Amino acid sequence: MIEIESYDFADDVDYAASQQQGSQSIMRSNSGKMKDPEGGEVVYVKDNVSIHPTQYMSERISGRLKLVKQDDSLFMMWIPYKGQNTNTRLSERDRNLYTIRPLPITDVRSIRRHTPPLGWQYLIVVLSSGLAFPPLYFYNGGVKEFLATIKQHVLLVRSADDANVFIVNDFQDPLQKTLSSLELLGVVPVVAPSSAAIAVSPTSESQEKMAECACDTNCGSEFIERPKYKVNDPARDFSIQLLEKFSLVTKFARETTSQLFRENSGENLFLSDGRKPNHIPALPAAPPKLPPNDVQKVSDEVHVPEDPLEFYKLALIWGNPRQPPLSQEEWGDFLDSEGRVVDSEALKKRVFYGGIAHELRKEVWPFLLGHYDFNSTYAEREYLRSARKEDYEIIKLQWQSISPQQAKRFTKFRERKGLIDKDVVRTDRSFSYYNGDDNPNINLLYDILLTYSFYNFDLGYCQGMNDYLSPLLFVMEDESEAFWCFAALMERVGPNFNRDQSGMQAQLFALSKYCLVHWQLVELSDSPLHDYFKQNDCLNYFFCFRWILMQFKRQCADIYFSSFAHHRELRYEETLLLWEVLWTHHLTEHLHLYVCVAILKKYRNKIMGDRMDFDTLLKFINELTGHIDIEPTLRDAEALCLCLGETGAACIPPGTPPSLPLKNALVSSQLEDEILGYTILRKVIADQIASAKEDDLVAFELVFRWEW
Amino acid sequence: MATIGHNNLNAKLVLLGDMGAGKSSLVLRFVKGQFLEFQESTIGAAFFSQTLAVNDATVKFEIWDTAGQERYHSLAPMYYRGAAAAIIVYDITSAESFARAKKWVQELQKQGNPNMVMALAGNKADLEERRCVPAEDARAYAEENGLFFVETSAKTAQNVNEIFYEIAKKLPRAQPPQNPAGMVLVDRQTDGSRASTCCS
Ligand SMILES: Nc1nc2c(ncn2[C@@H]2O[C@H](COP(=O)(O)OP(=O)(O)OP(=O)(O)O)[C@@H](O)[C@H]2O)c(=O)[nH]1
Ligand SMILES: [Mg+2]
Repeated sequence: MIEIESYDFADDVDYAASQQQGSQSIMRSNSGKMKDPEGGEVVYVKDNVSIHPTQYMSERISGRLKLVKQDDSLFMMWIPYKGQNTNTRLSERDRNLYTIRPLPITDVRSIRRHTPPLGWQYLIVVLSSGLAFPPLYFYNGGVKEFLATIKQHVLLVRSADDANVFIVNDFQDPLQKTLSSLELLGVVPVVAPSSAAIAVSPTSESQEKMAECACDTNCGSEFIERPKYKVNDPARDFSIQLLEKFSLVTKFARETTSQLFRENSGENLFLSDGRKPNHIPALPAAPPKLPPNDVQKVSDEVHVPEDPLEFYKLALIWGNPRQPPLSQEEWGDFLDSEGRVVDSEALKKRVFYGGIAHELRKEVWPFLLGHYDFNSTYAEREYLRSARKEDYEIIKLQWQSISPQQAKRFTKFRERKGLIDKDVVRTDRSFSYYNGDDNPNINLLYDILLTYSFYNFDLGYCQGMNDYLSPLLFVMEDESEAFWCFAALMERVGPNFNRDQSGMQAQLFALSKYCLVHWQLVELSDSPLHDYFKQNDCLNYFFCFRWILMQFKRQCADIYFSSFAHHRELRYEETLLLWEVLWTHHLTEHLHLYVCVAILKKYRNKIMGDRMDFDTLLKFINELTGHIDIEPTLRDAEALCLCLGETGAACIPPGTPPSLPLKNALVSSQLEDEILGYTILRKVIADQIASAKEDDLVAFELVFRWEW
Repeated sequence: MATIGHNNLNAKLVLLGDMGAGKSSLVLRFVKGQFLEFQESTIGAAFFSQTLAVNDATVKFEIWDTAGQERYHSLAPMYYRGAAAAIIVYDITSAESFARAKKWVQELQKQGNPNMVMALAGNKADLEERRCVPAEDARAYAEENGLFFVETSAKTAQNVNEIFYEIAKKLPRAQPPQNPAGMVLVDRQTDGSRASTCCS
């Protein structure tokens, strides 16, 4: 344990400061001889530490945070003030619900510190059980002292992976470290341990209460950090990215744009602290924690607890029968004489239950993905297609016009090209549309992906994007249309590829939360599968990673295990069907999460009966590849979704991908800044290309040699 | 981790290395005797198992084939935790992939199970004409770091079975049975420098 001391905290200002301040706060409290009513010695106290129970910053519950030393143990507690809530809607019950009763610090696994560029510092306290309290906002400061005081009493180590995570009672497991820094570790927010009192034994009365609590928590919420922008990048990186973005612009353009920026928004528009707080207040708080289950010690003969609501009956009761795919004739009926989709909800519903006949996909997908507006006419779409085609060509020219000399000086570009090069040649090659030597469709994949990596330079290229594009190109059969559909799809699933894993994290988190509520409410508080996962360290639901990342594509499109070509084609078809159903966003935007639950439920007996541990479960799920039957699974997923209704939906925080990100005022103004920059940039490039065409691209050569 | 029962050993093995270095291809060659010109990229990880007979015992490898792209790096500990062996793969036609392999070695030295048997595979040895990484460099590096090194080709099958066979021979035999439930086997003493991971 001695090596802990060798940790270098020197780069962490707060931490360094805390070393000194910590001792001060101890002295202060010692001299004050404060005694906690319960007999311990108060070693830290801070007023105006608040939580925000709803998504509105204006609603807060303020209270007093204390660290109390009793015998040799340190306890943390937070008591909300009486009758001082910002909003009368926050009842006395909320107060009780959120109170943190004395909690041994040794029960804390980690503390994550957040320092938004604007606003107050807050901490998220994660317990070793994987539960977390709502963020504590320090409106009077005091974060440093808090950490320092804790450090006086227990081992507090900064995480190697994230300088803002402080691990209490350091654990050595690199896996846990990774997970905890990802906050993937089955972090289920808990209102307060004391609220367990609310959830009583599973009588029908208590079910009502639980349901009530769960609904109640729908309105309550907590913050989960889901950065839309990589805010942790130092400002420098941001400006470098910007330079990269602008490296394609002409000298003229640079002058114009920089002038415009100067005029419009002061010097620092992009460079540093113009960045806004990034957290999205979103997450409904968790349902009350159930009393600790006296989890059945696994006996020698494996007993699998019954699924209390026999799942297949559930599907029969709730899931609607699947229908044949939407036909040409029906499609015609959805359109008015000028080509508008009259009742888009009805259309989505229709697709949800039956999918789309293959020949029609090309027409309908752009609507589902949001590339076409449901209200557009034939003529408008015709126009849009040609305008978008031009746009596409312009973006494509950005990389096409990079000369070998420029490429030599453009590492990021070469890297991306390299990644895409490696991946396109191994994208669905056993599928007829992409097989054979020199298949031109492979080149199209390449062009579209590289163009997209310029269009969305921040996201870049990531493995798996090729898998998303492949069916789109196959269906759209047009480069530009495939590109725009892909771009629209990435608006939804792009966060899956965030470098910091925040998009995946949000979805896995929602999944775990949904499952918890599901298993508590639907299974009448007998939640064997949940308990099982809990015992086996599987609460992070990480084993669903690939399902979610790829929206099940590789599950259905069973390319490398299947030996019959026609079988593979069939699987490819199934992906198309599943995707279009997911994209309708009928009933829910997160059907894919319900699909995960449906599959897990289907195999619950196997999972528990075989006593799968984390590794085995991951392996089992990988091996399900090609064995997931889409139609019945969809039906089960729908049943699940209907069954828990609003309560279930509330488990999925707003803004969880593939929902579009929430826009609060601050974020959107930042977006506007970006868009402003981008629009100017595009206009300038477009002009340049127009003239470059005439000047035989000479302009480009000149321009690209110009140094920033 | 390696577990022993009578004469049969179960060993978890993880493949790490740059994207496209040929991790999946090596596994596929070893497990199924196949090679696909267009092996699809790995998302998350894939799992395979294969049993080898070594002298009087058998070794059943439980093989985790991981995703190579840097962006998925943070997931790697999930796969190498508790692994008895690792093959770090690079592509002899790519200097970058060799640099990446070194980083993996460093990370495993810091974070992995200290008794892990590590092998370095210089893959795509069939592409001699495009070689960028001299075999001597890799061998010297491997010796410095106590790795078993060999150049392989998933395409021609050169040294593929051999590398797994060598690992099987090197696995510690007299291990007491381990808890199969993904026990964490990091030794606290040897784990002093966790503060930095090599790749960001
Ligand atoms: N010539 C040759 N090509 C190989 C060899 N091994 C793999 N390849 C090719 O290299 C490409 C990448 O191989 P993969 O096995 O998918 O590489 P990987 O390391 O698993 O890549 P990721 O899953 O993306 O991390 C494929 O097109 C293979 O066909 C080899 O020994 N020789
Ligand atoms: Mg692979």
